[in-house]
Amino acid sequence: MTALDTLATREDQISPGISACVGCNVELTLRTVLKVLGPNTILAIPPGCMGGVGVVGWDKMSGAKVPVFFPLLDNSASMLAGIRLGLKARGREANVVAFAGDGATVDAGFQALSGAAERGDKIIYICYDNEGYMNTGYQRSSSTSKGSWTSTTPVSKEGSGGKPQHRKDFPLIMAMHDLPYVATASPAYIPDLVKKVERAMEVKEGLAYIHIYNPCLTGWGIKSDDSIAISRLSVQSRFFPLWEAHGRRLQFTVRVPKPVPVADYVRRIGKFRHLDEARIAELQAITDERYSFLEAMDRMGGGANAPGA
Amino acid sequence: MSKEYIGPVGEGLYAVRTGDWRTRRPLMDQKTCRRCGICLMYCPVNAISRGADEAYSIGLEYCKGCGVCAAECPAKAIAMEKEGAK
Repeated sequence: MTALDTLATREDQISPGISACVGCNVELTLRTVLKVLGPNTILAIPPGCMGGVGVVGWDKMSGAKVPVFFPLLDNSASMLAGIRLGLKARGREANVVAFAGDGATVDAGFQALSGAAERGDKIIYICYDNEGYMNTGYQRSSSTSKGSWTSTTPVSKEGSGGKPQHRKDFPLIMAMHDLPYVATASPAYIPDLVKKVERAMEVKEGLAYIHIYNPCLTGWGIKSDDSIAISRLSVQSRFFPLWEAHGRRLQFTVRVPKPVPVADYVRRIGKFRHLDEARIAELQAITDERYSFLEAMDRMGGGANAPGA
Repeated sequence: MSKEYIGPVGEGLYAVRTGDWRTRRPLMDQKTCRRCGICLMYCPVNAISRGADEAYSIGLEYCKGCGVCAAECPAKAIAMEKEGAK
């Protein structure tokens, strides 16, 4: 079944009307992921955009057709570990899935997630990374890119300021837990995302982790119809490479032999508007360094022999 | 058959009528459409469906008018028109 057939024929598991911003690619990501997972799924959505837009429900009404829990910001993985054990005790099988933002994953939720990964709890953990705490007014997170304006890393009239540190390479940190499956994904590459969710569902033992990079229209200053185009540029500039890893065997899934300059990506995003040539060159250097590290891992994983390498 | 609850269950599905937000409306030209399905894959609200005849149509009840379908369509078969222009 092609990705298109899957998405055209499966039922949407999310309420048809949720209050995500116009053009939000996290809404697209959530609907896509849940169509692939199907109805036999238990979902945990911690505080964050997707909790706030009503997927966890209002009053006694639900925002999803599957059971959806609303854990705290920091305990999604621990809560799901308990849910998994409860299901096991009752002899039931279901997809036990977290759909959490970067704040609830790379910052506050890291300890719970790392613990579940090390114990080998059978969970599918999906992080939608929009580089910060968007639904509370865009405070910086440890996933925010260097130089980015946020409400807690302001920019002066002269253009100095912005976040001093670069984002931590979280998907690689997760891969170093020796997990059965870790992948990065982008809303601009939907067939690739569909395949990765299917692979995560095939995992028999242990935690599967998918890190999705979602440029935020409202927080980053992007026009709604540019939502997918800018996500695509994040991959085509090698700023956010797409790969998957079984244990430490990492391979690229989308190869970018001729990258566009990082400047072409950065220049289209409002939160980077104040960056001068030198600061963009710095981002380019970080991007190149991180990409060559992944290239070395890809070669070790046998990826250099793959077509188009 | 008794139902077994496996988690918190709402009394119903809560749906915001997001079609009311729209300021622009997508118009699909069936003659130019190449039936590739890219609009369906990238529509954030899942408003686009595929019919039995492989033709795609846009449901306006929940479409927020973001314009992603028009921007992504490789055949340029979708135009965005100002809401209430006619």
